[in-house]
Amino acid sequence: MKFRIFWAILACKVLTGILRLFGRGGTAIPGKLALQMCPQLLGELAKDVHCVVITGTNGKTTSARMIEEIFAKAKTSYFANRSGANLIGGITAEFVEHSTMRGKPLKKYAIIECDEAASKEVCRYLDPDCILVTNVFRDQLDRFGDVSNTLESILLGIYNSPHAKVCLNADCPLTSSLANRIDNTVFFYGVDTSIYKSPVSEIDEAAYCPRCKVEYEYSYRTFGYLGGFYCPKCGTKREWPIIAVSEIKDCGLDTTKVKMRIFNEYADATINLPGAYNIYNAIGAMAVSQAMLIDPFASINALSTFSCGFGRMEQFDMGQSKARMILVKNATGFNQVINYLSELTDKTLFVCCINDNTGDGTDISWIWDVRFERLAELTELFGEIYVSGIRRDDMAVRLKYAGIPTEHIRVFDNYDELIKSISSQELPVVIAPTYSAMMELRAKMSAAFGGKDFWE
Amino acid sequence: MLKICHLYPDVLNLFGDSGNVQCLIRRLEWRGIEYELTRVPIGKSIDFTQFDLFFMGGGQELEREILLNELRSGVDKEIIAAVEDEKVFFCVGGSYQLMGQYGISLEGHQTDYIGALDLHTVDGETRMVGNCMFSRVDDFSGSIVVGFESHTGKTYLGSNTKPLGEVIKGFGNNGEDGTEGARYKNVYCTYSHGPLLAKNPELADCILLAALSRSNPSALLEPLDDELELNAHFYMKNRLGEK
Repeated sequence: MKFRIFWAILACKVLTGILRLFGRGGTAIPGKLALQMCPQLLGELAKDVHCVVITGTNGKTTSARMIEEIFAKAKTSYFANRSGANLIGGITAEFVEHSTMRGKPLKKYAIIECDEAASKEVCRYLDPDCILVTNVFRDQLDRFGDVSNTLESILLGIYNSPHAKVCLNADCPLTSSLANRIDNTVFFYGVDTSIYKSPVSEIDEAAYCPRCKVEYEYSYRTFGYLGGFYCPKCGTKREWPIIAVSEIKDCGLDTTKVKMRIFNEYADATINLPGAYNIYNAIGAMAVSQAMLIDPFASINALSTFSCGFGRMEQFDMGQSKARMILVKNATGFNQVINYLSELTDKTLFVCCINDNTGDGTDISWIWDVRFERLAELTELFGEIYVSGIRRDDMAVRLKYAGIPTEHIRVFDNYDELIKSISSQELPVVIAPTYSAMMELRAKMSAAFGGKDFWE
Repeated sequence: MLKICHLYPDVLNLFGDSGNVQCLIRRLEWRGIEYELTRVPIGKSIDFTQFDLFFMGGGQELEREILLNELRSGVDKEIIAAVEDEKVFFCVGGSYQLMGQYGISLEGHQTDYIGALDLHTVDGETRMVGNCMFSRVDDFSGSIVVGFESHTGKTYLGSNTKPLGEVIKGFGNNGEDGTEGARYKNVYCTYSHGPLLAKNPELADCILLAALSRSNPSALLEPLDDELELNAHFYMKNRLGEK
């Protein structure tokens, strides 16, 4: 056994090194290879590491980065799967990287973002101390089928984590329904109030009481089907969260000021990111910090200094213009980007890059559930809109039917021309790419304007 | 005045289905044809005879169960009457299945559906998913339709129902007999979900014309500038290998 672990670790480290030498940051392949050589590897490496697992549809990466910042501020020794490799191969490679050749851990904690479908297996090996479920929305139904399948996968992950404290989003009817089906200690977190004054009307992505099969009603909504839901028939209602945002004081374009309720104490907090979904990411991270017994004030402080990357409102200088990149994965997330865009005050160039590779989801129908109609109403804010990516033509059609004049829709066949056009104009830019489009764009942009490689 | 009814958008709204309605109404607007769109959620009763065109989308399991309760309260009879009266229906995915006689679950349990069309659906274990393409066989155009399908149910057509198309790429109704979708009177059903009509303007106009012709048999549709739509259409057609 010891020899197998040694060889598997060696192979993984060497292969990762070689791939990096050639400028490829992928960690999934070395990890998978190591698991093939030693199927018990991940379990062995994780044995003496305290793991936090983050899963759910939206917000995994940002939540993980916030939790990291909290752990860093608390001066704990940790590592995280930063490059967004959130399947079992990538996670294994990350554990290999942070262990000795004999498989002894170099760090005390691991902050692991984990794909919903992979969580079942990953959790079995990690035996985590804490699991954060961000939310459950429709996403990549081509992979998961029904949204209830996603929920079942997460549930199996929790079943495989008997020692974990589980942080659940109280405002998400699907996520919070997990509480009735598990024996773990549950920390509910949530937002006690609505967030935007006039949020875009989303499609009726309604949630239903599983018992009575009637649609939930709401005392308030934050976005999507998140909010103060209750069943008009049986009275099932949102659980009162022990960690919550109790008041939204100011929704700025760069930060959000809120009041938090942590157990029974109140404290002001600044979240160093805009957008409603980041309020959820922050309060979810806060719940994890409390489950892991970290000082709440140090955690609040971490949220105010947190700066994010990797396509989560990441900022770039592109020639004469400044760009923000926001990864989009599904309609719920993209509608939050639309909410963000519609509160801008300066004229802005909006760029949208839609791919349909496996990492993006092969079905792009969801772009029709994004309220681009809002952009068509804001003519003084948005002139031309650029589209690119593999499914640029479908995106152009979507914008046309949203009411954007066709002469304002510019379709770019390749990223070089797109980047050239963006950098030769002066308006601030917001770029919304899907996952694989972001990876390609980042590579091209860092080649053109400098920047970090993504595994750093 | 074309009266369009979007049935049950609150439960049948899987991934971009409402894009089809949006496509239809924009194509009317651009031609200056008046229309009225009524969205009918579950529990709201309507007079089916007042409408020309009905749209129904796809839904998830739990949501479909909720809908079945609604349909059994007598709405199924009204839908059958509207179909027989040659009103135009466009049904995608889950609602396509519901238009049939019955469904059989994996455990072998049979559930009765609306019964407007001679077809039934058997739940399968594997998901039939991916970009797809078929050629219309319900008219003489043979025109190509591109879409995206994602379903586990396998639908089998009875002798009174024609397919909408013949599968070129993808699985179609059941992955076995090469048929895709269903046609009966003015009912158009398909497994191609999402905004099918926007990238198949010919099919969109065909459905609009069927609806307009009910009150005006000599109705015509002016051509529109479909450059962007056809770019998206031909992109997928080429990618799937049809030159």
